[in-house]
Amino acid sequence: MSIDSQTPIDEPEVPTNRPEPTHRMKEWLSRPYVRRILLIFVILNIVIVPIAWLVVHFMELSGGPASSIMVELEKTVFVFTIVSAPLMAITASILIYSLLGWGRVTGEEPPMQESPAIRTNGIAVVAWVSATSLLATFLVIWGLMELATITSYAYGSTPANQQPNATKAIDVNVTGQQWLWTFEYPDQGKIESDVLVVPINTPLYFNVTSKDVVHNFWIVELGVKIDANPGAITNTGVTPDKLGTFNIRCAELCGLHHAYMETKIEVVTQDQFDSWLREQGGKRTI
Amino acid sequence: MSLTAVIHEQPAVPQPRQHGKPGGFLHRANVFTGLIGGIGLAVITYAVGSKLVPWGTQDADFQQVGLNALIFATLSAWVIGFMIGIGAFAGPIRWMLGHDLTHEDAEYMAGKGQGHMKYWKYTTDHKVVGMQYLIMALVLFALGGFFAMLIRTELGVTWKEVFDPNFYNSLIGTHGIVMIIAMIIVVAGPLGNFIMPLMIGARDMAFPRLNALSFWLLFAAVPPLAANLLLGGIRDGWTVYQPLGTQAPIGMLGYQVCIITFAFSTGIAGVNLITTIVTMRARGMTWNRVPIFVIGTLAAAIMGLVWFPMFQYSQILAASDRIIDTSFFIPQGGGSVWLYENLFWLLGHPEVYVIVIPVTGALLELMTVFLRKPLFSYKMAIAGFAGVVGISAVVWVHHMYMTGFAPSAGYPFMLSTELISIPFGFLVLVMLGTIWRGKVWTRLPMMAVYAMIWCKIVGGITGVYLSDVPVDQYMHGSMFVVAHFHFMLMGAGLFGAMGAIVYWFPKMTGRMFDERIGSIGFWTAFFAFQLTFMSMFVAGLQGMPRRVLQFDNAFNISNWVSTIGAYLIGAGMLIFLYAMITSWRHGKPATSNPWGAKTLDWQTQTPVPLENFPILPVVTSDPYGYGVPDPYLKVEEELARDDNETVGAR
Amino acid sequence: MSTPTSPVLYPTTGEPVEVNARRNRLGVWLCIASDATGTVALLIAYSYLWSLNVNDGWAPPKGAWAPAWPFWAIVSGLVLGTITMWWGVKGISKGHISRLIAAALLSTLLVLAAFLGQIIQLSTFPFGPADGAYASATQWLALATALHLAVVLFLTLAIIGRTRAGRIAPDNHSHARFVAMWMTWVCVAAILGALFATVMTDSPNTNSPSFGTFQE
Repeated sequence: MSIDSQTPIDEPEVPTNRPEPTHRMKEWLSRPYVRRILLIFVILNIVIVPIAWLVVHFMELSGGPASSIMVELEKTVFVFTIVSAPLMAITASILIYSLLGWGRVTGEEPPMQESPAIRTNGIAVVAWVSATSLLATFLVIWGLMELATITSYAYGSTPANQQPNATKAIDVNVTGQQWLWTFEYPDQGKIESDVLVVPINTPLYFNVTSKDVVHNFWIVELGVKIDANPGAITNTGVTPDKLGTFNIRCAELCGLHHAYMETKIEVVTQDQFDSWLREQGGKRTI
Repeated sequence: MSLTAVIHEQPAVPQPRQHGKPGGFLHRANVFTGLIGGIGLAVITYAVGSKLVPWGTQDADFQQVGLNALIFATLSAWVIGFMIGIGAFAGPIRWMLGHDLTHEDAEYMAGKGQGHMKYWKYTTDHKVVGMQYLIMALVLFALGGFFAMLIRTELGVTWKEVFDPNFYNSLIGTHGIVMIIAMIIVVAGPLGNFIMPLMIGARDMAFPRLNALSFWLLFAAVPPLAANLLLGGIRDGWTVYQPLGTQAPIGMLGYQVCIITFAFSTGIAGVNLITTIVTMRARGMTWNRVPIFVIGTLAAAIMGLVWFPMFQYSQILAASDRIIDTSFFIPQGGGSVWLYENLFWLLGHPEVYVIVIPVTGALLELMTVFLRKPLFSYKMAIAGFAGVVGISAVVWVHHMYMTGFAPSAGYPFMLSTELISIPFGFLVLVMLGTIWRGKVWTRLPMMAVYAMIWCKIVGGITGVYLSDVPVDQYMHGSMFVVAHFHFMLMGAGLFGAMGAIVYWFPKMTGRMFDERIGSIGFWTAFFAFQLTFMSMFVAGLQGMPRRVLQFDNAFNISNWVSTIGAYLIGAGMLIFLYAMITSWRHGKPATSNPWGAKTLDWQTQTPVPLENFPILPVVTSDPYGYGVPDPYLKVEEELARDDNETVGAR
Repeated sequence: MSTPTSPVLYPTTGEPVEVNARRNRLGVWLCIASDATGTVALLIAYSYLWSLNVNDGWAPPKGAWAPAWPFWAIVSGLVLGTITMWWGVKGISKGHISRLIAAALLSTLLVLAAFLGQIIQLSTFPFGPADGAYASATQWLALATALHLAVVLFLTLAIIGRTRAGRIAPDNHSHARFVAMWMTWVCVAAILGALFATVMTDSPNTNSPSFGTFQE
């Protein structure tokens, strides 16, 4: 056993003829193909950033985000794109380089030259499994935390709302049927409407059902979606924080005129909402 | 229960009594007698049944009372009559009476001495069944592809309705289910049947008569589905959510009869594939020497066998709701829409793996040949397939995040859906590791691997979005989902399958595939595919729902682009098909191993003789003995020598 | 089992029958697995609808739950038939061919009785298929049992036929064993169905919303 001070004590007694790990790493990184693949990898990672921005941009084209839920959603899409980038980039860089740098062969006959017979590589396997597991873990944890967050946004119980004069949620009964939406405001004088008019910065709580088949209640720019099931009542909620008119679409095939089962949500000021209520014959009771 | 094998040393085995000529009445039975039987029994059933229906009374859906039962009975009679006519019942009846097949019977049934007629009959030879599946897949793709062109025409003509909503909704539903069936069979059918037994060194599959049965059941299942367009259409998507399905015209019964029959076909095929792979591998082919394509086929067969009955029952119970007014899915009577959704998606999710896994296995297999490298980390590939099979059982609720059936179910199923990406990633690792430092022989099958991996990347990232419950709150039910699954099933699945078929084309047809024209078709379709479906992602991100024939003007541009792309896909696919047909008829005759592959399937003659191998092979190693020692090892040795010198001699 | 001289060979292929039998046994297990999933689908349907009680539609009109005794009578007939078949299999494995024929015959009669009983039960339920979710699910469980029994009848008759034709013999009786295995599975399925339909009757959910409204 060597008593040389340079040899760590936990080295195997029988000397192996493999060089030290750092030496091997340095040597591997100095190989030309490794450097070029890493270069492509870095470029692709950089390219993903504007793509991520573009993806979110498309989501905002019709006027959103109009609620904190939608903001969360967009943030998630952006973050997920960025964190998935390294794995996607390494895959793409290897694919690209393989067509350029390791010698392509064309022709009718099977090639004479053969490639290095690499049956496995412990470091590569460990690195890949770790990276994918890490990514999956991140996505799961982010997703779970985010789901809890938007669930609380939906039901208005975030700490920010728990103030003494917290705004009470407006209940809206949403009925889907072939092929239109009806909104009923039970606490506002039981008025009915086929356009959803709501005041800004007020929590909304939806009770959703259907009179016939499965529909899906989708307030597009607010990031709200829930099935309207016959025989059941489902719930969701949101607090709109942007004035404007946005889209409600049906997102579950419900028959012939599913494509036309659309209506609007109008997010208006408190005063406009009160006067609309009065016009409909109801009044604000909360 | 019999193995169609010709062992060259004629066994001195006492044969059972030969009943009639070898082959019995199967001399007369073929697809034409099947058609006569099927149509005949259907007509008789309709005639007798319509006397029993109390015409003149209507139910709440304005349909004749008893009409549903009548049409269901008629369509089922078609299936049963066809199976009688083609001779499928000969087997069970002979078995029951103890009139077992003699050697000559078995050879006749395997198609010996019948030339091309064997493709039109209840032939048990796995090679014949494989070809039959290939033709069926091509027919279904042609049908589904034609519908796709019509769909994209409607979506591209944004200034008016080209088709009425009933027809359009039927188009998308029929397109969907036809393509799903085609994708399920396109690799497991031709390649799982023709190639897999060769690859494991067997003479046939474990249950040759069941093999024929599974194909002809599929054949019988298609006309009811196709007939739906004449009977009012299936206008509720391929998922046919209930209770919407109960409102549909009687064409819906065609869908239900098709699925019920197809589920039997798939289950039987699954039993056959699994038993063959587990019990009939050649001597010496231990589990760590099995080619990876065989493992992929095994994994898919297991998933299909276990989960298809869920789908089958969802349709049986839906038909029951229509016909005898049960209340499984009708809320007024106590039924639940969520029950249907759960039963459906319990298969619906593993099904996409049933589609993608065989393709992945096939491409992993052929990569080694075109890179002249062993498969990287065979064990990780096995772990990947095993992990996908296992976890795929517990992810189905991610199709139901927005249904409200169990809001807290979002958490565990988001977890399982993210987790399944890890074993799936093992398969990508194996692909990348095999490509690493390989010299690429740039023939079309290998290039298809690149196409497939690219589409898997895009499908993968977009799947990550969809697996997140909050993001799904925006994306579910939008065109984003449609683009995602097309990238996975068509981008990765179909383009990969095309590569696999080109690879095995010389063995199956005896001719080389015209890669010049085929590549033009392939790449036209591939790049047009990117155009079509990337544009569809944009439409989805903008907020366009799916299954709509008219939409907001904001989505017009994306749809125009997608439609142009779709027409180009159609053109590319037609070119590819043209290449396939001309190669089949006039292509250059192939040698028995044009790719220089080491798997057993390529060690057979071309054309493959009836008994596959004159002598059953004995295997001594895995089929990945390609490659030369890594030249960089020398560099490492030098480094090691330097290190040892500095550290001090021992 | 096989005599020490030479193994019995399967006529069609020349392989020893044990090889063929092992292969077939795996096939039978796989068929059972697939049928099991289908049975589970029905049981899921039953229990899910029971737990939801959508629109108060679970219970049959006038509380007319299906009586329990017909279920158990049918199951008994089936179980007895299965035990009989196993007895026959044991017999032939010891060399008594006639015992298998007798067992298969007796088994056929018992299963036939069970099958007829099932048809009678189906036609005399105190409700029809349109009488709510419980009625739907129970009738389908019964229908599934009837279909299972019909298949079993074919199989037991086949055992009689094959044994008399000499295709099943003391050193080659795997097919009889497979039929007994399948019958055992059918017993399990029938017992599960009977249990669900007789024990899980009243729904635990008593305040489901009324269809189409927001009232409970």
